[in-house]
Amino acid sequence: MSKSADKALNLLRSLPRLCLGNIRDNPGSRSSRKRGRGQHGGDKHGAGNKGSGQRQNYMRLGYETGNNPFYLRFPNEPYYKGHHLKRQYPPMSMLDLQRLIDLNRLDMSKPIDLVAILNTGVFKLKPDQHQFGVNLTDEGADIFKAKINLEVQWASELVIAAVEKAGGVITTAYYDQHSLQAMLNTRKFFERGIPIPRRMTPPADAIEYYTDPTKRGYLADPEKISEERLVLAQKYGYTLPKIEEDKTYEMLTQRKDPRQIFFGLNPGWVVNLRNKVILKPQEEKLVEFYQS
Amino acid sequence: MLANILPKLRNTTSLCRYFSSALTTNENIEPRHLQYPSVYQKPRQIWVENLDSIDERKLGLIELHPTVFAANPRIDIIHQNVRWQQLYRYVSYAHTKLKFEVRGGGRKPWPQKGLGKARHSSIRSPLWKGGGIAHGPRSPTPHFYMLPFYTRINGLTSTLSIKFAQDDLHVVDNLELPTDEKSFLEELVKSRNWGPSVLFVDDTDIMPRNITAATDEIKHINLMPVYGLNVYSMLKYETLVITRSAIDLIESKILENLNRNDDKTFTGKYKVNQV
Repeated sequence: MSKSADKALNLLRSLPRLCLGNIRDNPGSRSSRKRGRGQHGGDKHGAGNKGSGQRQNYMRLGYETGNNPFYLRFPNEPYYKGHHLKRQYPPMSMLDLQRLIDLNRLDMSKPIDLVAILNTGVFKLKPDQHQFGVNLTDEGADIFKAKINLEVQWASELVIAAVEKAGGVITTAYYDQHSLQAMLNTRKFFERGIPIPRRMTPPADAIEYYTDPTKRGYLADPEKISEERLVLAQKYGYTLPKIEEDKTYEMLTQRKDPRQIFFGLNPGWVVNLRNKVILKPQEEKLVEFYQS
Repeated sequence: MLANILPKLRNTTSLCRYFSSALTTNENIEPRHLQYPSVYQKPRQIWVENLDSIDERKLGLIELHPTVFAANPRIDIIHQNVRWQQLYRYVSYAHTKLKFEVRGGGRKPWPQKGLGKARHSSIRSPLWKGGGIAHGPRSPTPHFYMLPFYTRINGLTSTLSIKFAQDDLHVVDNLELPTDEKSFLEELVKSRNWGPSVLFVDDTDIMPRNITAATDEIKHINLMPVYGLNVYSMLKYETLVITRSAIDLIESKILENLNRNDDKTFTGKYKVNQV
């Protein structure tokens, strides 16, 4: 782009001065609107000449004038039964993640969770369309170098291996729709002045995934996870970097409570942005309710 | 052939000007720190000139951001901006009367049948001389619309780049004149070949007294704060003279908008047709 811009600017040096009289739009970019002549604008409005098109007396949908209709000819095969109710995880590639980190849109020195990814403004999530978080895909896994504490909602084995090979840790965590709504636009949520909700436990069909140490589920036994880290390293043939001896050990081992949505903020708290205070529940009932 | 020679000629004349009339002084002009440095384009350079004497003195070189001052010169986007600026505040008051608005015509001029004449129901029908007008212009017709936000930004960068490329952009240290005589300013503009019409741009709307008094009586030399800078005015005036502080402000404002990550939510409020 810059080359063509330089060329054009150089050309402009030898051309007359640009003024209000010698500018124009690209040819053909605007077409003048014409008024139709006659009754109804001289048009049939897409209905054609006469017949069922104009009179709108169509046959009922699927009716084939007496044949066995197509929609009744074969037995029902419900391929997409319940499809609209399934949880969706829109993809983000490791290449994208690496780029976000390289461009300083994600801070490596802090745990990277869904809130951080959403705050970049690059990844869009629509919880009302049954989207439940990010699916980290393996594109760019071979060049992934960042040592991070990552929390995503879905990850394949190769992705887990790539993150752990680079010296980082990865967790898969479930967030319900209300929690996601709070995470979408944090400022907007805090301005509503309602307490931070508690994160719900995953539904029955997701419990298996999020308690599985091979999937690095957030409800899995930590000891089993460290075991699985070694197993995966042997399977893919890399030496597992020792995070215990790492300078950023504390950051890498930071985890959210299963009921927690934001790092450093507990469910039940109200964040007042105007007075810059955090209000914590005092009543015993509330404390008990928000306990994990 | 001509196109090949002309830029060279232009360069030589400008070089002559630099070396003959211009005295480069040693006044310290602070180098500029460019925000969001461009990877693909080199920064451009421009002389900072003086306004306190008719003779031109070069006070120093400063750098300009290539994204703002060497952008792709999109003439079509400039045209769209100018068209928008002319149209958004234009209301057409052209007006014609419909059939029922024209005086008279309530009576059927002659019977439907039996006269051998064409059937008519009113002498004010659009078919009649002196009748109403079908589909004529109706007043008031507003022509307001909103140009997309980034088309407006690109219009500014394109125009600034063209002004700079065609040597119609000058940077001065400030707008302080030694006198409020209008003849001083006229002579200065003439001796520097700035063309008859000049637009001075400063970062604030409270300008120094002398230049305000001097330009008050000259209709083709005007002052404008940065917040009023627009494509139409830049093209209307032959030369654009911007103060150094205004350059900083223009650059930072445009670059901020070209590099923001919340542009979707930000530009949403400028959409006209929203539910």
